[in-house]
Parts: sequence; C-alpha cells; structure tokens
Amino acid sequence: MTTVSEILGINYVVIAPTLALLLTVIVLLFCTITISTPMYVKKYVSFVGILLTLFTIFLKFGLFLTDGVSSYFTEKILLDEFALVGNVLVGMVLLFTFNSFWKTSELIEDKTTEALILILMSASGFLLMIDAENFIMLFIGLEIGSISLYALAGLNRGDQLSNEAALKYFLLGSLASCIFVYGIALIYVSLSIIGVYETSIAISFIGPDNVPLTTFIGLILIIVGLLFKVAAAPFQAWAPDVYQGSPTGYVGYMATVAKVSSFIVLARLVAVSLTFIIDQFDLFFGAVVILSVLAGALFAANQTDLKRLIAYSGVIQSGFILSGISSGVYGISASTFYLITYIIQLIGIFTVFSIISGQLSSDFQISNISGLFKENKFITITFSIFMLGLAGLPLTSGFVSKFILITNLWSYERYILVTVLMLTTVAGFYFYLRPIWVAAVEKTENVVEKIQVKNSDKLLLGLLAALTIYFGLLPDTLVNITRWMVEGYL
Amino acid sequence: MISIMFSLLLVPLFSALLIFLIPNSRKETFRPIGIAFSLITLTQCVYLLFGEYAKTEFTILSTFQWIQSYGINLHFGLSGMSTLLLLLSSLLVFVSLLSIGKDHSESKGFVGSLLMLHFAINGVFISGDLISLFIFFEALLIPMYFLMGIWGGENRRYATIKFILYTVFGSVFIFIGTVYTAVLSFGVNGRLAVDFETLSSLSLLESQSKTLFLLFTFGFLIKVPIFPLHTWLPDAHVEAPTAGSIMLAGVLLKVGAYGILRVSIPFFTEGFLAYKNLIAILSVIGIIYGAIVAIAQIDIKKLIAYSSVSHMGFVMLGISAGGFLSIEGAIIQMINHGITAGALFMLVGFIYERRHTRKISDFGGVKISMPRYAAIFLFTSFASIGLPGLNGFVGEFMILMGSFNSYKILTSFAAFGVVLAAIYMLWAYQRMFTGPIKYEENESLSDLNSRETASIAPLVLLMLFIGIYPNYIESFVIQEASFLSDTIAMFKDLK
Repeated sequence: MTTVSEILGINYVVIAPTLALLLTVIVLLFCTITISTPMYVKKYVSFVGILLTLFTIFLKFGLFLTDGVSSYFTEKILLDEFALVGNVLVGMVLLFTFNSFWKTSELIEDKTTEALILILMSASGFLLMIDAENFIMLFIGLEIGSISLYALAGLNRGDQLSNEAALKYFLLGSLASCIFVYGIALIYVSLSIIGVYETSIAISFIGPDNVPLTTFIGLILIIVGLLFKVAAAPFQAWAPDVYQGSPTGYVGYMATVAKVSSFIVLARLVAVSLTFIIDQFDLFFGAVVILSVLAGALFAANQTDLKRLIAYSGVIQSGFILSGISSGVYGISASTFYLITYIIQLIGIFTVFSIISGQLSSDFQISNISGLFKENKFITITFSIFMLGLAGLPLTSGFVSKFILITNLWSYERYILVTVLMLTTVAGFYFYLRPIWVAAVEKTENVVEKIQVKNSDKLLLGLLAALTIYFGLLPDTLVNITRWMVEGYL
Repeated sequence: MISIMFSLLLVPLFSALLIFLIPNSRKETFRPIGIAFSLITLTQCVYLLFGEYAKTEFTILSTFQWIQSYGINLHFGLSGMSTLLLLLSSLLVFVSLLSIGKDHSESKGFVGSLLMLHFAINGVFISGDLISLFIFFEALLIPMYFLMGIWGGENRRYATIKFILYTVFGSVFIFIGTVYTAVLSFGVNGRLAVDFETLSSLSLLESQSKTLFLLFTFGFLIKVPIFPLHTWLPDAHVEAPTAGSIMLAGVLLKVGAYGILRVSIPFFTEGFLAYKNLIAILSVIGIIYGAIVAIAQIDIKKLIAYSSVSHMGFVMLGISAGGFLSIEGAIIQMINHGITAGALFMLVGFIYERRHTRKISDFGGVKISMPRYAAIFLFTSFASIGLPGLNGFVGEFMILMGSFNSYKILTSFAAFGVVLAAIYMLWAYQRMFTGPIKYEENESLSDLNSRETASIAPLVLLMLFIGIYPNYIESFVIQEASFLSDTIAMFKDLK
C-alpha cells in the first residue's frame, strides 16, 4: 500500500489548502440545506476555513523543506517556489478581502451561502491551478476558479449592470478557455506531452531550433488564455465592464485572485517550460506589453467611472508585470514584487469603494467621492496613498516596484519598452491624481456625508496603507522573498 | 554632525505629523508649533554652518542598506553648497510660516504641507546618491500639489496639473538616467551602487557620458527652468498661495540647478563639455526673454515669476561657462535669488491680502498709505536688480565676469538682463507706489504690522549682509566651486 501510494506520489499535504477550502464549503452547504443556521455561524465557519487554509499552506512549506521541488499524484501536482508564493498570495487575498465579501454576501440575504461557496470554490480552483504541473490540471483549476467568478459577477440579480457583467465575463471567459484548451491540444498533438516540466525537457531534447510550429502556436494560445485572465491588451475588453457591473464588495477579490494565480502560472511557464525558447517570444510579449500600457493609459484618461478607471489601470499594471516576466529570471522576481504591491493597493482601493458606495452597488462615478476629505479624513488619506502607490510616487511601494522592474528591463537592454513604460507613468499621474483632486482638493458644495467605518475596515485599510508605505521605505524583506522564489531557475 | 543631519529630516516630518494630530479646535496653535519646529531646524542649520563639513565638497556621512540583494544603499552627506541651501530653505520655511495670513495659518493642511515640503527639500540637499535624490525630488510634488491645489488661485487646477506633469515628465528622464547609471555601475562594482563616491570613480565612455548628461540635465533643467521649458513656472507661481510661491521660487527652482551641479557636471563632465554651449545660449535667451516678458506683465506676481526665469538664466549661464568664478557666482546667485524672490513674493502676498488684486494698474501712490511697505519693496527691488552693495550684485557680477572669458558675445547680451531688470522692477515700483493715490481703496491700506515686518526683516538683513560682506558666503562655496571647475578643466585638457 505504501509503495503504491509512493509511486503514485499521493500526498495530501500538498493539496491540503484546496481540501481545507472544500471542507469549509461542504460544512457551509450542510449548514444551509439541513438546519437553519444563524449568520454569525456562517461567518465564523468561513473565516475559520480561511485560517485553516492559511495553516495548511504553512504546512506545505514544511513539506517543501524536506522534499524540495517535487511533483505528486503522478506528476499532476507540483510543489515548487512558485506554488508556495502563489498559495500564500491567494491565502492573503482571501484574508484581506474577507471583510468586503462577507459584508456583501450578508446583504444578498437569500444567497449568502451561495456567495461564500462560490468565493471559496473559486479560491480552491485557483490554488489548484497554481499547484498544477499538468496542463489539464491547470485547465481544471482555471475553470473551477473562473466559473465561480462568472457567477459571482452576476450575483446581484436585480442590477442590470451586474447581469451584463456576468454575461460578458462568461462569454469572453469561455472563449478564452476554448483558446486555452486548444493550445493544450496542439502541444499534445505535436509533442505528446502535457506537462510544465515535460515541455521544457522535450524542447531541450529536440533542440530549440527544431521546435515544431504547432508547439509554438499551442504555447502562444495557452499564454493568451492566461493573458485574458489578467486583462492584458488586446484581451482586456471584458475588464472595465465586469469591474463596473459586479457588486463592488466582490470586485477586489475577483480582480486580485485571478491576476495573482494567472501571473504566477505565467511566470512558471516562462521560467520552466519556455526557458530554452524564450527569446523567440520576445516580440509577442513586447507587443502585448506596449499595447497594454498604451491602451490602458489612453482609455483610463477619460473615464468618469472610478471602477472602470481602476480596470484600465489594471491593464497598464498587467503590462508592467508582464514586461518583467518576459525578461529574465530576475525580471520574474521584480514582477512578483510588483504583483504583490499592486494587489495590496488594489484590495485597498476596492475596500474604499465598497465602504463609500455600499457593497452591492455597481457603477461608481467619480462624483461619488467629491469632497470626501471634509468628513471622511481616514478613508481619503488611505485612498490617496493607494492611488499614489499605483502612480508610482516615491515613498510608496509603487516606486520601488517600478524601480526594480525598470532596472531589470534596462539591464536586458529593452530600451523601447522602458521608454514606453515610463511615458505611461507620466500619463498615469494625470488620471491617478484626478480622483485625489476630486476627493481632497477641489472645493465643492455637495460633499460626501460622514460614513460610519467599522473598526475592522479601519484596521484593514490602515494595514494595507501601512504595507504600501512600508514596502516603499524598507522593501528588503519582500525583495528577498521574490528573489528566493526564482533562485532555482537561474 | 550625523545626528544633526538626520534631525533635519526627522524634525520637519515629526512636526508635520504632530500638526496633523492636533484637533482642529486648537487651530491657533498650528502656527506657533510650526514656527517652533522650523526654528529648531534653522538653529541646526546655523550650527552646521560652523561644522566641519560646511566648507568641503560633498562628503557621505551615513549609509543605509536599502535593498540588499540588489546592493542598493541609501547615502546621506553634507557639503558647503548643501549647507547653504539647507539654511536658505529653513529660513524661508520659517519666514513664510510667520508671514502667512490667518486663513492659511489656522489650516492644519497648509502648515502641515509646508512642513512636509520642508522635509522633502532637506532630503534633496542631504542625499548622497541618485536614488535618494530622486525619491526626495519626487516627494516634493505631494505637498506642492496640495498647497497649490487647495489654497491656490482661480486657475489652480490647470496650473497644478501642468506643474505636476512637467516635473514628472522631467523626472522620468532622471529616473531612466539613474537606472542606466545603476546598470553601468553594476557592470563595474557588481552591485547597483549609485552613491556619489562610487560615481566619481566610474569611468564612462564618451557616448555614455553624453547620454547620461542629457537624461539628467533635461530633468533638472525643467525644474530650473530654462527657456523653452519654463512655461509651467508663471502659471504655478501665480496660482500658488504666497507661501507656496516663496518656497517654489526660493528653493524648488534651486533644486534643479543643485542637481546639475551635484550630478550632471561632476559625473558626466564629457557630456557637459559637449552640450554646455547649447545650455549657455538657452540661458541667455532665457535672461533676455524673461526680462522682456516681465516688462509687459500687468500682474505683479507674474512679473516676479518671469523675473525668476531671467535670474535663473544667470545661474545657468554661470554653470555652463564652467570657470571657477562663474560657478561660484552661480551658487551664490542661487542663494541670493532665493532670498530676493522669496522676499518679493512675500511682499506681493502682503498686499494681495489687503487688496485682493495683483494687477499693477489697480495700485498707484501706495507709498502714501504704506510707507514702510514701499521702502522695503524698493529695497528688495534694488537687490533683485543687482544694485552694488546688495546681494543681487554679487552673484550676477561674478557670473558675468567669470563667463566673459568663455562666452564673450553671450555674456555681453546677458549683461543687458541687468538693465532690463532695472526697467521692469523700477517701472512696476513707479506705477504701484509713486504718484497720487488713484483709487480710494488704496487710501485706507494699513501698513505692515509687526508680524509681517518681522517675517521680512531677516531676508532684508541678509540682502544687505551678503551685499556688503560677500566674502563670508563665498568662503562656503570656494572648495566646491574649485572642485567643479577643476574637474571641467581636467576633462577639457584630456580632450
């Protein structure tokens, strides 16, 4: 028995986070369909479930220390540095967005449990996706995660924008999934393999110059499928509508979790599978990066809806992160640093939005925050810190991440990319400072009234803003973590 | 000395945070607290003046490990020029806190932003490497954004965004330059070391030196500002509140020239030699153009703003001539212009508070109702024109004398700037202060009260002191100016 399970590589610790989330979901489901459970029980169950997930992620570190990089379940699940960092990030996203998505779910009274189940399921899916070694496993994880997100976008049935968002997200997301599966099929057809490591072994075996065209097309299609999830141009069209339409309390979670897992998978794909042929993808990645930052900056400049503005800013940030991922191993570490600081700011911004406009609201006009500073000093200050962080002003983490990233790009002699990215940064100051202007600087008659902020929200916002400043002043720890992540792939 | 250097950063930061924590019900305490803390900083700067680093070249005194895995450290240090500029900025913060009216001094945000600005400015002048220089250079923008945006004039939105976008556009070039230097330094030292000591030992190819000089200097020249890049300045000065204008003209413009003297010239000297003629031509155009446009202004604040373009042109002419005397003159002119332009903006602020107009034609005969004000204004105008015996003369004379060897024709043109300055300043004085009182609103104007007199007095005394005894201020910059001119001469000989 032992030998069989050893040969198969069955190890429940490695998928323990996914299992913990599933367990929580089952408990929640049980609570709903059998006995009527008070709200607070559901809250504690889901919160304990998230804490349990974090604990099991901690256990995976122990496994990694003894086993090192290794694969389990007949080479379907992989435990490496990317998986660990990705797991921690997804866990952190769950923890930080818990406050928002719990309150939103509480408001959708008859669907509270459904919403929680959808969120926890999507997290389990994305965890599986991060852990996957096998492309099929990757696809399964991606689908579990994404389908829950489609439903989450449309959870507020009464809201027309929410329905629109869900439908658009679903249709375009399914198309992306089709492309993704087609890519896997092409790789399987040309090389008869479906694994992350297998691909790199096969490519090194046949030689980088003899890689068949079908493999290239397959790899590009897989990457396109992932780029769709991170809303990089020209695959960004869904993002503004989905961000705008979805219930505000959920957008922070939806946006960050998909970005984190897709970027981690993309980074592993580039660092492992494409490592011998990465220079042949330079043009593709370069085009996507330039398109993303230009399209994002152009569209963001004239948005009046703040959620759309953040969506287009997300397109720009995706371009930035992608530029690092496609330029060398240290570029990947710089991108991961960028990603972490970016999701901290993103979660903070959406927490602020949901506090101001209510959890279930869909569109969020810039006029909604006019004169915010007068009565709501704390919210405005934290919001300004997040916006300045996105703009990349020194003393915030945004500057450090941009600095490390650009230094890497420059040392790889990508001068055109650097120029375009830096020009976008200048343009960014125009539209990132505008909300601050409206909220804090402009004198206006109808100011936002005093909003009661719960202590938990205050704590969360304070923590996120403090992290934004902390990583701007003392980035050493986080840089070291991201360097550790890529050290084995030099 | 090191602890004093850091308290120059921490005291303003701490005082700003303190002001933000005081409840609004005690708003009369904001100004005294701000003044007390800026006095502490001022005292420390005066102490630095007698310290061992007040007459030296830039010396790195302290190093912080910032990002270890990239080998990036932050460095802080002092030099003669830094000490003088620190003193100037502390003095200007102190007097502008003293001079602002009640509606500004009782606003938490205003006093706090001013102190935050002080923090960032001090940071710029003690930075010992490109990264911390860039960090503080950009950090200047946040308090300026709020000062101009919230308390600015009618057209503040346009002016603020223009100011921010111009500066950020320039700083992008500085940023790319920093990254480029860091990568080059990585090739030599194995880490991204960009402190000023490592940079001076970095040997660059001529093409690299030229590129880097262009990148850095372009960013700094926007801040100076030099002729075609100056258009943000009049808008920003006019729309900013009085204290904002004082800081903008007094210190922020110097940050650009400081950057060129600290970074562009000593480390990228070959680039400097290649482009110095261009800079000299542009700065002389700026001198003449700024002065001519100033003559045509109907708004006294705009007039002083354009006069800044003209005066900073002198600084850039002195720097680009590259001789010992001209560089020394440029540094002294930086200090002098900070004092006089700060004083002029403060004076304009005083009369704006009383009359709520800045149009020159709305005044006339003000000398009768405000004799003390008129006297101080005339005195400051003379200093700004460069009357011998006052501070403006010292710097401009040294610059013109020092540059004449290198640029005979250009310097002759630049000398007309002094004449033009006399035209626009004295003509404005004549229209505003002399003759009979034209409008009856001007009859009841009250003269400067004791607080306002006290806030302008230190500046007036300094104008006189530097004018009479320029040796004292010169002694602080001799070392640095000779170092810079020696570097330039050495590279010239190599060619």
